[in-house]
Amino acid sequence: MRKTSLHERDKYRFLVPTVLVCALLVSFPFVYMLYTSTQYWIALRPERSFAGVGNYRSVLLSTEFRQSLLTTVVFVIASVIGSIVLGFALALVLNEKFRGRNVIRALLTIPAIIPPAAAGFTWKFLLNRDVGLIGGFFLPLLGVKRALLGDPGWALFSVILADVWCQTPLMFLILLAGLQAIPVELFDAARIDGAGFGQVLVRIIIPLLKRVLGLAVIIRFIFAFTTFDVIFTMTGGGPGIATQTLPLLGWKTGFLYYDLGQAAALAVVMLLITVFFSSTLVRMVKL
Amino acid sequence: MKLEGRWRLFGIAFLMIYLLFSLVPIVWVIISSFKTHYQTLIMPPKLFFKPTITAYKNVFLGGMGKVFLNSTKVAVIDIFAAMIFGIPAAYSLARFKSKVTENIGFWLLSLRMAPAFGVVIPVYILMRRFHLLDTTVAVNAAHLLINIPFAVWLLKSYIEEIPVEIEESALVDGATRFQTLIHIILPVSMPMVVTVAILIFIFSWNELFFAFVLTSSEGMTVPVLVASLAGSMTFNWPLLCAISVCSMVPAFVFAFVVQRHIVRGLTLGAIR
Repeated sequence: MRKTSLHERDKYRFLVPTVLVCALLVSFPFVYMLYTSTQYWIALRPERSFAGVGNYRSVLLSTEFRQSLLTTVVFVIASVIGSIVLGFALALVLNEKFRGRNVIRALLTIPAIIPPAAAGFTWKFLLNRDVGLIGGFFLPLLGVKRALLGDPGWALFSVILADVWCQTPLMFLILLAGLQAIPVELFDAARIDGAGFGQVLVRIIIPLLKRVLGLAVIIRFIFAFTTFDVIFTMTGGGPGIATQTLPLLGWKTGFLYYDLGQAAALAVVMLLITVFFSSTLVRMVKL
Repeated sequence: MKLEGRWRLFGIAFLMIYLLFSLVPIVWVIISSFKTHYQTLIMPPKLFFKPTITAYKNVFLGGMGKVFLNSTKVAVIDIFAAMIFGIPAAYSLARFKSKVTENIGFWLLSLRMAPAFGVVIPVYILMRRFHLLDTTVAVNAAHLLINIPFAVWLLKSYIEEIPVEIEESALVDGATRFQTLIHIILPVSMPMVVTVAILIFIFSWNELFFAFVLTSSEGMTVPVLVASLAGSMTFNWPLLCAISVCSMVPAFVFAFVVQRHIVRGLTLGAIR
């Protein structure tokens, strides 16, 4: 009897402040974002006024939004597929036991935990036409002499490549963790039955990894959709707006043009897209 | 699963090529950081040259040491602030279940799913009002917005796995909840606390967007320096490479120390 009352009292003493602080911490930015999106609000001017859906209309109807959305779609699809395919292949290879496996695993992790800004610089440097190992040396050997980051199509390809480079290790680690949870007996049984690796992959590994793969896609989608650092450091969204994904458009709107209202509206739109896609994916793989 | 025959050859070849793809860019930046500006311009590049540490001298004697100091300060303060709030919060969420807090996980991580340019707007407005723009305080506040929920979430899932029995004997002996938290739960949770601390450090050290919007010179952090130098038109390649290499040092250290736990952290605790 005494024990339960003690617990009850503790419960409120501990839980109430926690929930309050968490609620404030997490909700405040969202509420404020929502509020800002309904205001005509230029950061450096004191006046602001109610805009209703005005900001949303301006954002959604602008041609720049449509182009950025298209760029984002290409970027997200290519980057998600690229990093998951490569990460999956790496996970399959590194699920084998061999000497030096741990060192290789650690080395492969590095691109994912260096600052993305440094990763962006690294690729910008590498692809540079005058001083880069790839852009200045290998590509001219192959007869390509153009500046990759100066060409709209190649620039988009380059930022996707750099993003895949950064994000593949994470996919690899997630999928490796999933692979290691598959009981070895299943593979042994399949082998005794004479199944080749291709069959094992299609019949056993992929069905069993469905949940983990789904999770990897969701995480990867959210990260790719909100990627800013690598693209910003490599191209700044250029040439022109060829690599300007929605986060770069949001930054430009809010902190170059100081139109906080429109930036907030764009953020809300992006958040809705994220919630829609991730909940659809969650339902698809029944997480 | 044993890869055999043809598949084994494929596997080895793929791993070799991927390792090159993964590491050559970083090695190339490290090599170039020891060149002179003139040497970086020579094509085809030379692998053997007289290395110089001029670029590194320029980083730390040229006033950029302060930027590294700022980054360290932000990351360390972030770790302590997130822990002071995060540990008790995680404990109470793990031990006192209630209907309100059942689905708190998704909610706690929702800020990480939002585009950063939206999340930063309220922080930006607040910091401007209090004249804290371009200070490390502003960067700290923005990072804590992400790191506190993150720490709570990871620690909560860890504490949930600690059996309640080990606390109960202490409680029966008259210890307060706070005492059991400090003397019993905290020591057992140390591995996770250290992991979370490292992940917070990495997040804070790497984070560009918030710091970029909130600071311009005095409060600048390392990624902001890298991004603004990389975006400028005049290039001192060895200097930029040296700054980048310095910014990667924590990654080099942590890749070997915590790769196992990184999965948990980077997947937002969804995979253990």
